[in-house]
Amino acid sequence: MPHTLTELVAGAAPIVVEETRGYWEGTLAEELRVQTCNECGNVQMPWGPCCTRCLSQGLGSIVASGRGRVFSFTVVRQAIHPNFSAQVPYVIADIELEEGPIMTSNVTDCPVEDVRIGMPVELWFDNEIEDAFHTKLRLPKFRPAKG
Amino acid sequence: MSISGKTAIAGIGVTAFGKLPGRSAWSLQTEAVKRAIDDAGLSKTDVDGLLTAPPLSEPLLLHAEQLGGKLGLRTNYLSQKFIGGATAVALVAEAALAVEAGLCEVAVCVYGENAKTGLPMLFGRAQMGRGQAPSDDIAYGLAGGPIMEARAAKRYMDEFGVTEEMLGSVAVAFRDHASRNPGATYRDPLTIEQYLENRYVSEPLRVLDCTIGASDGAVAVVVTSAERARDLAEPPAVIAGAGVAANLQGLSDPDHYTSYPGARSAQTAYRMAGLEPEDVDVAQFYDCFTSTVLITMEDYGFCKRGEAGPFALEGNLKSGGALPSNTSGGMLSEANLVGWNVLAEGVRQIRGESTSQVDDAEVCVVAGQGGFHAAHATLLLTKGAA
Repeated sequence: MPHTLTELVAGAAPIVVEETRGYWEGTLAEELRVQTCNECGNVQMPWGPCCTRCLSQGLGSIVASGRGRVFSFTVVRQAIHPNFSAQVPYVIADIELEEGPIMTSNVTDCPVEDVRIGMPVELWFDNEIEDAFHTKLRLPKFRPAKG
Repeated sequence: MSISGKTAIAGIGVTAFGKLPGRSAWSLQTEAVKRAIDDAGLSKTDVDGLLTAPPLSEPLLLHAEQLGGKLGLRTNYLSQKFIGGATAVALVAEAALAVEAGLCEVAVCVYGENAKTGLPMLFGRAQMGRGQAPSDDIAYGLAGGPIMEARAAKRYMDEFGVTEEMLGSVAVAFRDHASRNPGATYRDPLTIEQYLENRYVSEPLRVLDCTIGASDGAVAVVVTSAERARDLAEPPAVIAGAGVAANLQGLSDPDHYTSYPGARSAQTAYRMAGLEPEDVDVAQFYDCFTSTVLITMEDYGFCKRGEAGPFALEGNLKSGGALPSNTSGGMLSEANLVGWNVLAEGVRQIRGESTSQVDDAEVCVVAGQGGFHAAHATLLLTKGAA
């Protein structure tokens, strides 16, 4: 358990908070849940406390298809956070989901040189981890779409 | 009611930049304030407004109160602001509003940091890691400014056919200016060949595309009425226009990869000043990354979309070019004072005091950008009426 802000921010696991609990619970069921607004129908990522279009707090979610395209990306060659030093080079990508919103993730399972803007990708879930307060979750990640 | 031309920067105080062991952030901040007051030809008792940006290394909630106490000030106006790299320009705009509205007469804006030798940039690290708090992007290895910016740069380059040489020409031009600035951190000349051999941090950004990581140092500016400034020690840099705009959706917004809120803050500033992009003689961009400079050039109307890269490649950002920019070396080569050193250089150009002085510079634009292009602030400085 972290004791100070420094310890908390130094870690590399997500921190599950009240407004994102539903999102992370979804990952344990291998569901990528995209937040929706019950008032205006807006579809948004990442999850927030209210709809960014109409400010309603009446929010729900839909399960994403898991299909998307690379909107942009970078090949990280120098990890600034020590937890990722052993993983370079790796790809951070902004994935435009079939449902519309853009989410940030990794593109894995291909050489970093092969990643392109517009490349079709599909969802997979990484191994179960715990946040700083022992809440379990799985990180949604993407790999080149098959076929 | 417009504040255009009503206020001016009458004094600047700049400490040494770089690695300053033994100097606390407080000592640097107070030194910069004294230098700025002295530069304006004023005394401490003239100062009745204090506006501060807390240091990244020590993000105190009551920074303005504490610094005011250490300076022994009694003020009629007090403010503290942090909107990342947009803070310097936005605080000057706020000081101008406060002076023009009669809340105070002589306002000092200040920022100082010992992030290079003192505490690490705790706040910066926390914010970068948790920049999109609910999505916790740090879990994917998204930690640090270059990774944030690289994705915008990649999309921008892909969309408009911008080459790495074009990015590099920004770094080369600003280094050329730094080579004439004795206070700059990096003064060795840089060639495009050296740039292309430089290693990547986060593709397409190389080490040389990124701001200096951290610098110790402080900058303060004195803002007062243009009328009063004309009677003071130095030629005033008149505040002709200002704008502070934001788009807080980050890279969740697809429009936000190739254009910044600077497009709107610049429009506000131009309209206020009654000026056009063609009127600008010299620019001080917020050069946290080379790609940021190119996109800002387009947002500000200096180039059409996609044309800033070729324009920079022709050498137009160097002294003698069509748009000399970041004439002290900027954050790429002079120091990383989060835009405050860039602001001070804008004032020097209007005074005619730069080490890469643009002849007859009448209008200088200064940019600030914060929170990975969430916030953008624009300032138009002029010599004003004689």
